[in-house]
Amino acid sequence: MVGPTVSLSGLRRADGSASYKCPVTGYDVLGAVNAPVELPARKDALRPEDATIEVFVKPGNTTAGVGEGYVESVLRSVLGSIVLGREKGFPRRGVVITLAIIGGEAVERGDSYLTILPALLHASLLALISAAVPLSMTFATTLLAVTPSGQIVQDPPVEDVANAVSLHVLAFSSKGHLLLNESQGRFDFETWESVREQAASICQGANPRGSDGDTAMDDESKDGTLDNFIREAMEDHLHRVYSWKIESN
Amino acid sequence: MSTPLVLLPGDEVPSDHLPPANNNPLKLGPGLKLLSEPTPASEKPRHVLTATQAGILSTDAKRNTVSLLSFPNRRYIPTVNDLVIAQIHHSSADYFHCMVTPHTAHALLGQLSFEGANKKTRPMLKQGELVYARVLSVGLGAGAEVEITCVNPATGKADGGLGPLVGGMVFDITTGMAARLIRASSSSPDDDDAVDGLVVLSELGRKLESIGGFEIAVGRNGKVWVDCSNAGDSAVKATIALGRCLQGTDEHNLNPADQKKLVSKVLREFKLA
Repeated sequence: MVGPTVSLSGLRRADGSASYKCPVTGYDVLGAVNAPVELPARKDALRPEDATIEVFVKPGNTTAGVGEGYVESVLRSVLGSIVLGREKGFPRRGVVITLAIIGGEAVERGDSYLTILPALLHASLLALISAAVPLSMTFATTLLAVTPSGQIVQDPPVEDVANAVSLHVLAFSSKGHLLLNESQGRFDFETWESVREQAASICQGANPRGSDGDTAMDDESKDGTLDNFIREAMEDHLHRVYSWKIESN
Repeated sequence: MSTPLVLLPGDEVPSDHLPPANNNPLKLGPGLKLLSEPTPASEKPRHVLTATQAGILSTDAKRNTVSLLSFPNRRYIPTVNDLVIAQIHHSSADYFHCMVTPHTAHALLGQLSFEGANKKTRPMLKQGELVYARVLSVGLGAGAEVEITCVNPATGKADGGLGPLVGGMVFDITTGMAARLIRASSSSPDDDDAVDGLVVLSELGRKLESIGGFEIAVGRNGKVWVDCSNAGDSAVKATIALGRCLQGTDEHNLNPADQKKLVSKVLREFKLA
């Protein structure tokens, strides 16, 4: 399977940016992060010891509406759980994430926003890392559809989404926590459990953690997982940026 | 550092990558955090070093430090004691209001914060003039004022060339490059090794010595000021050539060999070498 396409720090004026393109669904998301920035004073009062996270989603063909508002609140809560807003320089300041959907099938009014959620989440994570915002961990996320015949399809194409009985977006942190579970449609608990298992293996590999809490360092099982893909994207970029440092040693 | 270790946020620093334990406490650089893991009450608490940013782990056994080379910051955030190049925006009764970074509130520079300045002898700086200054305080919270100074408050001297920058020209570089240039210049100049993989300045110094050399000031806010007023007729050409070499090195992440090539190429184009 072809992996997603990623480029980091492409925008010159943002503190950090990333573009993320999913090859199956064709969604192309450009994310920009500005942090820490000064916010209007009224936003400080709510949580004076923490940073305020703001997320803006811009669809490619129209203005943001109710669907974008919903997906912004989902993104805000997931990213809020990984951003370390109490690090030096961040309290009472803002982390502003702007995500522009620049390619792929447009999400119609009233359509499910779950299909594009993984691309938005990955783009915002990569942009946050690119802006050197302190994070407690990384995550990987995937979309799974359950077809009428009971099959579970990863990153389903548009026609499969229309026919699917249920759609699930799950995000797993790099430490194995389930960070996000958004589902829609009709499904029972057994279906969800098998969806969760498959999502975990897509994100983190077959057996991410042994029973004793040690990370399984079996490279073969990690190959091709989303966790590994994010790590490789970072390694590539950092090796390029610090080529002078690596060569001079 | 043959195969650099890249850490992602939340990764633990492997203990075999830390400098060997000695009596001095280990110093942590940016991007790293000490966490204590919850353990059963009977055991000793376990401490782990975790990364909070993505970066390359770099250790210094001599100074007993461990830090993370993270994504270079795009935007300069003033920090106390940083050297910056500021531009005067306007002047008020007690302060010069200076621009350190674009799109932020002006930094304040006291009218008397210059070497040997008093009410009679203070410099009359006009809008657009440049100063090389040190960040004195940054304040806390939203809307805090940044204050800069051109004099060391303890000694009353302008150490390190602080003060108005006359003549010359300013070029924009990235903040990461500015930090590298400052590190390279603060280490001993006799050292033939490339500091931080940077030979562009020593190479330019050698090649431009015949026409009178040059003066340079690097601000952490991503500005570099260059002056070749000793070079006579070729002063303008040499200034532009210097700026091109620095910006080219920055933009393309050149390694030492390519930096030397760039210097020869640019100087040849300007007919300086």
